Amino acid sequence: MAMISPKRDMEAIFTKRALMLSAGGFAVLSAVGVRIAFLQTLDPTNYAEARDENRFDTRVIAPPRGVIYDRFGVNLAITSKDFHIKIVPEDAQDIERTLATIAAICDLDESWIARRLRDVRQARRFEPFLLRQGLTREQFSAIAVRLPELHGVIADAGEVRRYPYGEAFAHPIGYVQKPTERDITRAVACQEGTNETPLPPHLCDPVYLRNPDVRLGKAGVEAEWEEELQGVAGWRKVEVNATGRVVSEVGQERKEPVRGGGLVLTLDAELQRLAFERMAGESASAIVMDTETGDLLVMASAPGFDPNTFVNGIAFDAFRALNEDEYKPLFHKAVTGAYAPGSTFKMIVGIAAREAGVDENWRVNCPGYFPFGGRNFHCWRRGGHGSVNLHEAIKYSCDVYFYQAALRAEPERIAQVARQFGFGESHRIGVPSIEDGIVPDPAWWRSIGRGQWTPGLTVNFGIGQGDLLVTPLQLAVMTARLANNGKAVAPRLVREAQGLAPPRPAQRVAGVRDEHLAAVRQGMYGVCNEGGGTATRAGDLQLVRTAEGRIIEASDATRGLEPVRIAGKTGTAQVRIITAAERARGVKSNASLEWRLRDHALFVCFGPWDDPRYACAVIVEHGGGGSAVAAPIARDIMRAVFLRDPSRRQPARLADLDAGRTEGARA
Amino acid sequence: MTIAMSGGGRGSRGLFDRIARLNWGIITLLSAIALIGVVMHFSVSGGESTAMPIEHLTRYAIMLTLAIVTAMAPPRIWYAGAYFLYAIALLLLIAVEVAGETRMGATRWLDVGPISLQPSELMKIAIVLALARYYQDIPAHQSGALLWTIPPVILIGVPVGLVMHQPDLGTAMLIAFAGVAIMFLAGLRWRFIVPAVVAAVIGAVFAYQLVLHDYQRDRIDVFLGLRNDPLGEGYHVLQSKIAIGSAGLFGQGYQQGSQSQGDFLPEKHTDFIFTMIVEEFGLLGGAAVLVLYAGLMGMALQVSMRAKGLFQKLAAAGVAATLACYVAINTMMVTGLAPVVGIPLPLISYGGTAMMTLMAGFAIVLSIDLHREQTGSRGILW
Repeated sequence: MAMISPKRDMEAIFTKRALMLSAGGFAVLSAVGVRIAFLQTLDPTNYAEARDENRFDTRVIAPPRGVIYDRFGVNLAITSKDFHIKIVPEDAQDIERTLATIAAICDLDESWIARRLRDVRQARRFEPFLLRQGLTREQFSAIAVRLPELHGVIADAGEVRRYPYGEAFAHPIGYVQKPTERDITRAVACQEGTNETPLPPHLCDPVYLRNPDVRLGKAGVEAEWEEELQGVAGWRKVEVNATGRVVSEVGQERKEPVRGGGLVLTLDAELQRLAFERMAGESASAIVMDTETGDLLVMASAPGFDPNTFVNGIAFDAFRALNEDEYKPLFHKAVTGAYAPGSTFKMIVGIAAREAGVDENWRVNCPGYFPFGGRNFHCWRRGGHGSVNLHEAIKYSCDVYFYQAALRAEPERIAQVARQFGFGESHRIGVPSIEDGIVPDPAWWRSIGRGQWTPGLTVNFGIGQGDLLVTPLQLAVMTARLANNGKAVAPRLVREAQGLAPPRPAQRVAGVRDEHLAAVRQGMYGVCNEGGGTATRAGDLQLVRTAEGRIIEASDATRGLEPVRIAGKTGTAQVRIITAAERARGVKSNASLEWRLRDHALFVCFGPWDDPRYACAVIVEHGGGGSAVAAPIARDIMRAVFLRDPSRRQPARLADLDAGRTEGARA
Repeated sequence: MTIAMSGGGRGSRGLFDRIARLNWGIITLLSAIALIGVVMHFSVSGGESTAMPIEHLTRYAIMLTLAIVTAMAPPRIWYAGAYFLYAIALLLLIAVEVAGETRMGATRWLDVGPISLQPSELMKIAIVLALARYYQDIPAHQSGALLWTIPPVILIGVPVGLVMHQPDLGTAMLIAFAGVAIMFLAGLRWRFIVPAVVAAVIGAVFAYQLVLHDYQRDRIDVFLGLRNDPLGEGYHVLQSKIAIGSAGLFGQGYQQGSQSQGDFLPEKHTDFIFTMIVEEFGLLGGAAVLVLYAGLMGMALQVSMRAKGLFQKLAAAGVAATLACYVAINTMMVTGLAPVVGIPLPLISYGGTAMMTLMAGFAIVLSIDLHREQTGSRGILW
């Protein structure tokens, strides 16, 4: 009994405690149930909202960029469908094998695989990285069917910026690129309101700029007209998973993007291409301008580069090669290159001298040098030109005449006339990095701390040397203003854009008399068309004007018809200083010098002589002499311009072009 | 029945009879819970792969068969082997300490040829059996005495310390809870319990300060709200709470849980599978699962209460307590009521370890229930 009693006690205790324990267990499980109910009802946190924030994502749809057209509606920059493949590094399994498969399909070599392998390893892990674009439909579908084994690869058709003319328009059109870190930093500052200058809305949105499809204009018209071209972003609501990958599209919640506004340029694609090709092998720039409207028909710089390579990020080595090239392919020489105008400046000096009272028949004797201030200023022709008046001085490009004309005109007047003809002025044509150049005068000389201006500087000023710096664009403007008899026409690159005001009519250059203009024009005519002119070969265009006024190529059948003529002026700008000792030994010919020490060759001209409409400026860096190198290029360009006569053809209208594009897109 | 048993051969009739007398209620509940796992693993794959659900089902079927076979053996075998099993488990735990395989920052595995063992799992069963035998063996009236309380504390303390050192806080908690539950059921006096609870609290604070690893401390800090870290340690629980809190009464629907299907919820196939159940089947679905577990626990306790011997009672109740601990810690963890300690939801979570432990435990429960009429010496017959 004594043995049994504690044992029964144990059983009772066990039962009691087992019940207690199970009650505790049930209590805990009930607490969990209550907890669930609490989370769903009383908990102030809005879990449904948090879930939807996880689940749904609003994705930006980058708008198609506005199209850039030439004056006749030819596409210069378009946003078109493109087949491309991307890879999400996080999802990729065997990147090397995946790349090898793609390379095999797209016919790419080992170096591509190696390069991309490096890129992908440096790319953000969760963001799609662009492997290759511009795939053919066959390549695209070959990859698409193998996607199940190509982990992390996305085959996609998207919009991409294309520049059909490539190099020829690289400088004026520019290119787009992915927003840089600086763009994003600037956008962040803008959002915080700490920016110094206001920005267009899309440049003020760092999230938008981080979108992999967004591109910003980084050079040329693309950069300067960024706001106009960008368009309005759309968005779509998508369901995503934790890694940010889109699981599905969410029904109707979508806003389509709006294409950016188009631009019609003044350029003529055909002439631009021709001019660019004519400059092949040179470091040069050529501009053709309508002397009445200021329309820039050609604005080419050589060598060029392919802007298409910049759109998705140019390879470092390729960029370095461009950047370090002596011929400066990335440099927009037409507006950014500043050169001494050399003898092309002599018309300005001639006008200034006439304004100062120099008579038309004032003659100067040129023995080949001009002794002044204790030294000799040389004429380009060692033997001299003998007695010359203004007309002959321009025709022969006699330096001695202009040394003395400059002294008579005085530097202030020369500078004033130079400015009236567009030098030292920033011609805002809608591309970045426009150089103003320098028109020196005594006031400027003092302002930069060089003290008193000396007459020796004036002498040099007379032949366009010294501190005077001009751009090819400014040379074209000068020539146009000479050709149109002194109308201060302003150059124009963009004909039409939404909200762009029509150009103001050009004012007459103040105080310059017609007869003075006519005198220098006659001199320029002599340069190309009279015996002894420095560019008589360039003057022969092999074109004639028919009785109806059309310009056609000269042939046996056109014998007797009036030839079409141009008037021009050569120039040679010294790059180095020729010392007296060197001159005594005999100045080395350009051909025997290293390329970078050779003179710049310049030529400006206008025509047709009987009815001027086009002005042209050509500069060939280190080309040697203006008459030998620059004039033939200008001649060929002008010949093509006259035959095409773009200013008398009906230009395209932006409204028609953009409307046509929308309809095409709908169809 | 008597005829068949006395009639010599324990033939096929006897075996069928014993199978028929198995506790089919428990087997049904076990199977129902395991099937929920199968269904959920299909949803884990987004309805795209049957590999995981089939593996889960196969694993359960094999273990259930083994459990039924094992249940045929009488409890005295477990009684006889209790200390031996405990000794083996303890030696293996020490071996892990010395030569264990480190995976994911924790040394829990012991590679024996091709087999990879987690001795801490074996200990979960061994501790229950060892303590049950201990209380069976000591004089019944002494079970409440202080001196007789010291051996069980050591029996529990040593493996718990070793497992904590691995570090595996969750398993250590499970072993400790199961052991303490048995001590409690065996009649530990209240005058020891109250100071022990106080000591445990102090010990916990001490452990927090000195013993726990940084990541464990972080988890507890996050749980206690001392630290707000929604992308780090708090991420799992935050996503789990979002899924549960937004599920509503009926849930988002099977394979429709955006938190689970979109991978916002981590470890959804293992530790956080209960969240997925609630997200897709709502409060009702979660409650149903809890009720199934409660029913299983209740039936195991029922077995313990109608069993004759103290060993059988304590062993069956110990298994019930282990199950309750698993479920309670896991569900409290995913609902933000307890810190994240990495305990799976038994029979539902993917993986064989917890399932094996539980099924071994229930093999013992089934055996005890099947042999409840057989008793042996010392008032307890077998």
